[in-house]
Amino acid sequence: MYELKTLLPQFDIKLPTCMYNLKNVSLSADPTTSTSSVSCSASEFSSSINLRKSIPCALDLDFLGRQIQHLLKDETVSVVIRQDKIIQQLQGLKTQLGKIRAGLGICGKTVQHSTAFQDGRKEVSLQDIVINGHPNFIPYALLALKNAWRDLYTVNVKTFIHSTMADIGPAARKFEAEMDKIPVNNALPNINVTLIWKNCEHMEMISSPTMYVPIYGEVNVIRYLGRVGPTEYRYEGSPLCNEIDLVLDICYQLLRCSTHKAQVAMVRLLDKRLKQQYFGGSQMSVADIGVHSSLIRIPTITDKDLTPALLAWRKRAKLVTQI
Amino acid sequence: MVEDKENVESGEQVSKKGAKKLAKAAKKAELKAETATAIAANNAAGDNAVDTAVGRYGLSEMIQSKDKRTERNFVVVHELGSHVEKGLLWVRGRVHTSRSKGKQCFLILRQQSSTVQCILAVGDIISKQMVKFAGNIPKESIIDIQAKAVSVPIKIESCTEQTLELSVEQIFVISQAKAQLPLQIEDASRPENADDEGLNIRVNQDTRLDNRVLDLRTPANQAIFRLEAGVCRLFRDILTEQGFTEIHTPKIISAASEGGANVFTVSYFKDSAYLAQSPQLYKQMAIAADFDKVYTVGAVFRAEDSNTHRHLTEFVGLDLEMAFKYHYHEVLHTIGNTFTAIFKGLRDKYSREIESVGQQYKVDAFKFLEPPLILQFSEGVAMLREAGVETGDEEDLSTPNEKLLGRLVKAKYDTDFYILDKFPLAIRPFYTMPDPSNSTYSNSYDMFMRGEEILSGAQRIHDPEYLIERAKHHGIDTTKIAAYIESFRYGCPPHAGGGIGMERVVMLYLGLDNIRKTSMFPRDPKRLTP
Repeated sequence: MYELKTLLPQFDIKLPTCMYNLKNVSLSADPTTSTSSVSCSASEFSSSINLRKSIPCALDLDFLGRQIQHLLKDETVSVVIRQDKIIQQLQGLKTQLGKIRAGLGICGKTVQHSTAFQDGRKEVSLQDIVINGHPNFIPYALLALKNAWRDLYTVNVKTFIHSTMADIGPAARKFEAEMDKIPVNNALPNINVTLIWKNCEHMEMISSPTMYVPIYGEVNVIRYLGRVGPTEYRYEGSPLCNEIDLVLDICYQLLRCSTHKAQVAMVRLLDKRLKQQYFGGSQMSVADIGVHSSLIRIPTITDKDLTPALLAWRKRAKLVTQI
Repeated sequence: MVEDKENVESGEQVSKKGAKKLAKAAKKAELKAETATAIAANNAAGDNAVDTAVGRYGLSEMIQSKDKRTERNFVVVHELGSHVEKGLLWVRGRVHTSRSKGKQCFLILRQQSSTVQCILAVGDIISKQMVKFAGNIPKESIIDIQAKAVSVPIKIESCTEQTLELSVEQIFVISQAKAQLPLQIEDASRPENADDEGLNIRVNQDTRLDNRVLDLRTPANQAIFRLEAGVCRLFRDILTEQGFTEIHTPKIISAASEGGANVFTVSYFKDSAYLAQSPQLYKQMAIAADFDKVYTVGAVFRAEDSNTHRHLTEFVGLDLEMAFKYHYHEVLHTIGNTFTAIFKGLRDKYSREIESVGQQYKVDAFKFLEPPLILQFSEGVAMLREAGVETGDEEDLSTPNEKLLGRLVKAKYDTDFYILDKFPLAIRPFYTMPDPSNSTYSNSYDMFMRGEEILSGAQRIHDPEYLIERAKHHGIDTTKIAAYIESFRYGCPPHAGGGIGMERVVMLYLGLDNIRKTSMFPRDPKRLTP
């Protein structure tokens, strides 16, 4: 019932012509060694997922063929016994491979795009983020960051109008135009931002609906961008971390103040924190971006309400943010 | 009775029993006769009473255009609000419900989606007979009434005109309906709330479709088909404004360019012909004939034996094709913006209809972005993988994956409409132009509404030699598509296009669950009538 002859080693075996070089198992494997050689160590298979199936396949067929050749002279009964044994071993190999695959936890069909560091960490590509904002609360921080990072990092912003908004108003349109003016430099590392004008209460940032919860509030979006942005603006490792967070928190409260009096009180607080050229140091940081964009969003705070130190800072900040 | 019992005890058993029976029967008969005479007398009194309202009600003779009756000033129901306390007026409408209660009759008059309460009370003008007549008019009959619009102190919750009622003075039946209706309009228009505790009578889909004329009278259906007309109108207006020309393509074709599958065969004199399953070839020929930008609205036939919620064997196709200068994105953006404009038009001009449908079928409003969101196919695949779905780079989206991707996009971008660009070449037809920078992809796109594909389009190959090469690569017999290839031999501008099914767009825009709800007289593998 079996056409056993086709398996004989004198026939040429076509090896897969894929990019990896396959060891010719039929020539190197010693036919006299015990059948346990079939169950090779797992490391031999771990190189590539695609190859896993082909290696044991070539090996087993040759092995089988040779064994059968040996046994052709023997009684057919022993052939049957041997065959059963081989099938059993193949089964064992299959389960072993299955275990390896499960252990690696990789999708079976394709190789995932990720680069692993030596210490086991993985580098995954940055998620495109979506920011939902109301045209009454324009996220000037985006424009400020875009300008400030002009030569460091590309913030690629695309704007959309959600169907819940009939019109976005002149201020938002001007903001869009300002945004489009900044040239996009694709050579720099970049992040894609989708800005959607939407009838929503708070500014909301979504990076991946399946993996992360949304982030609310402009200062928190600034914090996020500060983390993924250029190293110059990453502040978590810096000794000024607490100071920067504090200033951003003041901005958060400032934006929520309903009365002018409360707003001025917050501005006073900010003034106290401005000890050097910039908030929290001599270098421009995300804190400055936060304060600057927050002040723009509150037109009721005029130059009169600002202290000379703040006014001077504002001029400096304006040079960088260009708003 | 007490007496009877005593008799039973004293006298003989059997005869006493008989006597008792007789007595009982006699008593019964007496009572019967009494009530009968009373009723008869009553009736006689009612009928014989002088009918003060003769000529003010009755069955109108069949209208054969004898009189013009220009003196009758008709008012439409939804404009009644401006005629309150302004004297007599005429209204024509259908009897939605009518119930007489003694000397009063309440009748709800329906005109398309608007309803108003009418009242007839016995008085100087109205006789008892007239009230009785009004109470007996079968539902759905068409009537003319002359009435005064009167404002009411308490809102009438059951009608669309809540602040007024009509005090009827004359009532004539123009066209009488059968007393027994195969379905009740009230049942057919009952909101589909699963948690509703009240009456839960539903009319199933087949009953509705079998009696489509009645079913279409529900407010939701009135709105659906008005909105559908709106989709067509907006499609035409928007494209005409952009310099498109409407063309009409033949529906009987020789099928030389299409494969034999999924096509209806019709006998054509001594030969057989096929019903067009897409106007694509003709659109492309119009482009080759220098029409530059064309669209067509017409029936499309698909002989697919699929009984799903979104397949019809005949539907209205809205197709467009456009020549472009250098990049097919010129066309992609045109199509995308056309959709956004249609959605905006519907949102702004058809809000009443959308609300009306929403009252019966609870669904979320359709959300979209402007300009439309365009994602790359590979980005879509990445989003799916992130959600834990295993799908290949060159694999077509399966229906569940398509829906999942729709949900993911909605969660991230909050839009029900998006475009997926750059599909793998392997899963597109042979005439699709491959992507010049990456040969595994193609210059083709799909558009989705609420996670379901509504449009599939691409840049078509306009070079005959390349077309032959691609056809051969797909193993297609080039002799069979010779005519198609031939049409590009006399020079043809680069072009792209796509087509949508009108019913499917309306279904998905409104968030309905079945395409049969948006086709007036749907055709599917199991339905050819009405």
